[in-house]
Amino acid sequence: MKGKFIFTVAAAIFSLVFFVSQSPAQEIRAYMGLSPENNAKVVSFIKEKTGIQILQTFQSFGEIEAKVKSEAPNFNADMITGCGSPLAFMAKKNQWVVPYDSPAWKGVAPEFIDQDKYWFNISNFSFVLVGNKNKLQEKGYAMPKSWKELLDPKWKDQIVMSSPLSSGTANMIRFAFLALYGEEEGWKFLQALDKNIHHYTRSGNAPTDLVGRGEFLLGITSDENVKKRIDEGYPLIWSVPQEGIGYDGTFALIFKTTKKMAECKKVIDVMGTPEFSRMMAEIGYVTPRPAENKLYGKVTPKYIKLDLGYAAEMRPKWNDIWKEKFRTEFK
Amino acid sequence: MAEAGSFHVPRFGVRERVKAFLNAELVNILAAILFLLLVIFLLYPILAVLIKSIKDPEGLTLSYYVKFFTKGYYFRSLTNTLLLGLINTVVCLITAFCLAYLTTRGPLLLRKPLKLVAMMPLIAPPYLFAISLIILFGHNGIMTKAFGIKWSLYGFTGVVIAQTLAFIPLAYLMIENTLRSLNPNLEESAYDLGASEIRIIRTITIPLLAPGILKAGLLVFVMTIAEFGNAAILGGRTPFLAPDTYTMIIGEADFEMGSVLSVILIIPCIIIFFLHNYMLTGKKFTTIGGKPVASEPRKMTPLVKIPFILISGTVGMAIVVSFGMVLLASFTRILGVNNELVLTHILNFDSNLAIYNSIKVSLIAAFIGAMVGTLLAYVIVRGKFFGRSFIEMISLSGFALPGTVIGIGYLLAFNAPPLKLTGGIMILALNSVFRFLAVGVEAGISKLHQINIEIEEASADLGANFMATFYKIVLPLMFPAFIAGFIYTFMTTLVSLSAVVFLVSPGFELAAVRIFDRAVYGEIGNASATTMKLVVIVIFCMVILNYITKKTGFDVSQKKGSVAV
Repeated sequence: MKGKFIFTVAAAIFSLVFFVSQSPAQEIRAYMGLSPENNAKVVSFIKEKTGIQILQTFQSFGEIEAKVKSEAPNFNADMITGCGSPLAFMAKKNQWVVPYDSPAWKGVAPEFIDQDKYWFNISNFSFVLVGNKNKLQEKGYAMPKSWKELLDPKWKDQIVMSSPLSSGTANMIRFAFLALYGEEEGWKFLQALDKNIHHYTRSGNAPTDLVGRGEFLLGITSDENVKKRIDEGYPLIWSVPQEGIGYDGTFALIFKTTKKMAECKKVIDVMGTPEFSRMMAEIGYVTPRPAENKLYGKVTPKYIKLDLGYAAEMRPKWNDIWKEKFRTEFK
Repeated sequence: MAEAGSFHVPRFGVRERVKAFLNAELVNILAAILFLLLVIFLLYPILAVLIKSIKDPEGLTLSYYVKFFTKGYYFRSLTNTLLLGLINTVVCLITAFCLAYLTTRGPLLLRKPLKLVAMMPLIAPPYLFAISLIILFGHNGIMTKAFGIKWSLYGFTGVVIAQTLAFIPLAYLMIENTLRSLNPNLEESAYDLGASEIRIIRTITIPLLAPGILKAGLLVFVMTIAEFGNAAILGGRTPFLAPDTYTMIIGEADFEMGSVLSVILIIPCIIIFFLHNYMLTGKKFTTIGGKPVASEPRKMTPLVKIPFILISGTVGMAIVVSFGMVLLASFTRILGVNNELVLTHILNFDSNLAIYNSIKVSLIAAFIGAMVGTLLAYVIVRGKFFGRSFIEMISLSGFALPGTVIGIGYLLAFNAPPLKLTGGIMILALNSVFRFLAVGVEAGISKLHQINIEIEEASADLGANFMATFYKIVLPLMFPAFIAGFIYTFMTTLVSLSAVVFLVSPGFELAAVRIFDRAVYGEIGNASATTMKLVVIVIFCMVILNYITKKTGFDVSQKKGSVAV
């Protein structure tokens, strides 16, 4: 009797587990490093236009880079639908990805598409300074106008930013300051800034939420979610300090190993359409097809002059310097 | 063999021989298969981590270890981790003992509610407490603002508080179980002879509890230093080994340094594991003369009662308030900023797939885990081959291995053919199977010791072959052990983060990982709502499982008892 019962229980569990395991045919797996909610928006847009379901988990750019590096050449995904410039350049150089001459991307400005058609930049994003309106008022502090003002000791333990090791935003912040001040002075700036940083978060958008909830006064954060959080009622103010801000792309690439090439190409095609650009600009991204930006409006913010290729090349070395500088002392 | 052949029609000779061979050797074959599984899924991944930590492109090297011990940062992360483990273990053991004493010996009125509260954290991810502590004591927390507290939550103390609250139930479960199965006669006779309650606790209860306390201590220590959710969310800039390992592997692809940190993390665990085994040998006094006896509520002396109730009450309050905060956060727009009551977080169904995946993985893990555990227990007790105690040690070592290390080991070991499992669902289940194997195995072993081998022999004498005996006699008798392994693996897999966080792949998100991501990200409302949904589902699953076990005629309390033997 009991033996039979065990069998029944086992059978029940297994049928429960495997009954719903069949997956629909049109699915691709992708690494995608926008903020979780923007990931979801892109996924539903693609699904609506093509019927293809992108399966993804939220990871920050640095994490995707680490994952792709560690998996190469046996990738566990079909494509990347959002990574930073370091990985995009690296993937092309190592031939982990295949080129695709998409008809939908014709006529796009050269900073948005690789000349050999290996990568597609679906949107540029930047970093801005955010502050908590209520908390600043409470303390009687004004929002800093210049990046240099962040070095004031009054901000000690009141600033958050992400770690350039795991976050694409912070990687961008780092190379922007190194470009702005020159490498030697840039590192000095970062070290001085470090004294006021409470801690480095894992993802580039985290400071927006932490400052928004009033845990900290200021944050250097990705511009991706700022508009949305303000609309949701977080007491946030944001600014572009006078020296300007940096930028990086969000890149899409197709892995060489994919068995779903046709689907991947379809996804790339959709990302080249004006409609996709409009959707992204709506969120606050600067897009391959011109569209009105909901965060910056019609004025283009002041950008620091950058060489993304050089920054990508220097990333490993700068990471080592970073660890050397911020991870050695007994504090 | 030749004799066996001659009894039968020659035509079936080969088949019969195979049958006879199988009948005689099945235990050994089974043992060999299980041993192979243990080697592949437990030893090999650990070995892979070890190898990674001493290999560089040119060959073997200790340079990564040199780096670890010469840089203050890493060294501090080691001392922080050990200190955290130590403080946590001591605090958890003390509170768990007070709680367990009250729920088994204390006033009847307190027993049920205290027990319920003490078990509550088991069904939620451990970092629920990080979330609720931020809501209460963060820089903009409710309590911080209300009382103008200057203390900063982010740092060592915050992590200690969160981890302690998270792992009290583990310690409680073990201690309560041992305490309940202690025969109260000894204590009662001492009481009748006029010994004071403090003296009884000191000289009778605690010494008799030693095996349970030791085991609880080991488990809490390992879990504390390995589960990194709380440390990653509340640590600020205080380094700890487990979250650092996580950042190195996941954020930087620095597998060499990550492996070094893992190996360092394993060392104290292994030392304690052996220490625990060593201390237990010769300490296996049997106080269980038959069924566990529920003790009559005794009048506790105020000298014991008041501090015990004070400690238990404080902890119980903290746990209840933490759950309350998370519940509140999942129904408010932005708790602390905009306290408007909304349903948006609860009605956000993005997380449903992740929860569904978690349940699926946990069921698979629980089923395989309980199966393997029961079979292992069988071959360990009934097998007659060399190396049985070695198999027993390996299968029990799983719970002394930090989840982070197993996660990294699986990532290193199973990322390339021939055994490429990464990117699939099985790798998520398998790591849990072998990490949480110990409970099923131990329950199985103790169950088998209670079953007289004569029953099996009788069955064999009556002509049943090995399979029939196993299926008809052994399996049904071992069913409670199977259920114990099943429930434990199911629950821990559902909420555990430390290993699977390395193994999830796009499109196969797990609830524990998702909640952690959202909490780190700062989306407290979303993280809280997902936690609440997970908690409700866990409770629902437990009710169903209890119902099933009841249907089979096994006493639930008996089954729960074996969970923590």
